[in-house]
Amino acid sequence: MDPNAIIESYVGDVVGRIPRRQRADVGFELRSLLREELAGRADEADRPADEPMVMELLAAFGRPQEVADRYRPAGFTVIRPADAPGFAWFALGGVALQWAVTLPIAYADPGVAEWAESAGVAGAWWAPLPAWWLSGGLGAFWWPGFMITLTLIAAIIRHRRDATDAATDSAPQAEPRVAPHIPPQVLDRDRVNRAGLVLAMSFGALGASVLIALPWLAVIAPGLPQPVIEAFVFDPEFLAWRAPWFVVLWAMAFAVGLALLIAGRYTRTIRLISIANDVAFLALVTWSLTAGPIFVSPAADDVTRVCLIGIMLVFVLDIVLHVRRLTPTRAPILSN
Amino acid sequence: MVEGRPEQTGKLEQDLRKGVLVLAVLSQLQAPQYGYSLRQALAERGMPIEEGTLYPLLRRLEGQGLLASEWRIDDGPPRRYYTLSPAGAESYRDLTAAWGSLTSVVAALLHEEN
Repeated sequence: MDPNAIIESYVGDVVGRIPRRQRADVGFELRSLLREELAGRADEADRPADEPMVMELLAAFGRPQEVADRYRPAGFTVIRPADAPGFAWFALGGVALQWAVTLPIAYADPGVAEWAESAGVAGAWWAPLPAWWLSGGLGAFWWPGFMITLTLIAAIIRHRRDATDAATDSAPQAEPRVAPHIPPQVLDRDRVNRAGLVLAMSFGALGASVLIALPWLAVIAPGLPQPVIEAFVFDPEFLAWRAPWFVVLWAMAFAVGLALLIAGRYTRTIRLISIANDVAFLALVTWSLTAGPIFVSPAADDVTRVCLIGIMLVFVLDIVLHVRRLTPTRAPILSN
Repeated sequence: MVEGRPEQTGKLEQDLRKGVLVLAVLSQLQAPQYGYSLRQALAERGMPIEEGTLYPLLRRLEGQGLLASEWRIDDGPPRRYYTLSPAGAESYRDLTAAWGSLTSVVAALLHEEN
């Protein structure tokens, strides 16, 4: 086969993988260099260039993908090596968790059972699986996709910030190099951002105040339309038995926040109290969800229940984080 | 899988050479050279560089403003000639100074070790 035809095909393969604006220029130069290299090898071997010779040259040059990579500027890391195992566990764990929830629902769904009956596969153990796979099964993959999207955005921001820092660092410096600015919370993970904490506590206090004020909504805001006032009427039993405990736990959470604000960082005691508070909140929310209605209006009650389930997930996550930080991985201490 | 010592040493040596590749290339481009002639010049001086590494490197250095290039047709096929740009000449001076300091420090370290 004509060696030039092989070079032509190889160059086409390489330039097809690099940015369009570089293709003509790189292609022209690469073709010229490869021909030059081939001629050099033919001179050294004292025979005309042939197919084995050109294949040997191209093998030394590298796979077209690798060569194209070399022509591209260095990329940036999307998932740091230290974060990769955690990312994989979190992504796959999220999928597994959704499957664990949606699969039993599919088996219990009367609609799926009806379909199985009409298809003549009623009673087969696998009958709900196709319907589940096309809904909750495949649908669970939104989670890794969502995580990757967020990670990509974070990586792009980090890459831009690093590029800016590098440009600043490369400027001539008369003084000795100063340490880069890293937020204290990154270096000391028990430390809290006081401004952020004050903001979170303010929002928490505002939300709690609004909910506590709901039973007196008609008195506080008499101008509101009657349907709005009716929508936010608590169930009397909830108000009598369960609502007071929410106020107690909110007050405890506020006290923990104040202690944290004063200390400036988490201590073991604050973490243990936070875990106890989270567990108590989980128990109270579970009680509220199972014992009866929260709002008199069914629509408001349904929305509140969905929100409470979301809040429970946040509390579970908070407990996991606190427990992890109570049992830190300690570096071994060397002794003589 | 744990690599054998010769493979491991080979990779470490490769990493070592990669670090000085840019300086070696800049050193040879005070006069215009095209890719193939540059590779030959480096190989003759004991610094062989794979063609698949050298040519993209030239493009990257040009992209960074350290090299300037032009197409020329002399007595053969059209060739792209590279040479140091003013910024490249300045970087070359800085890198040469850094290299001198580095080699003396490493030499002292190695001497101490021996």
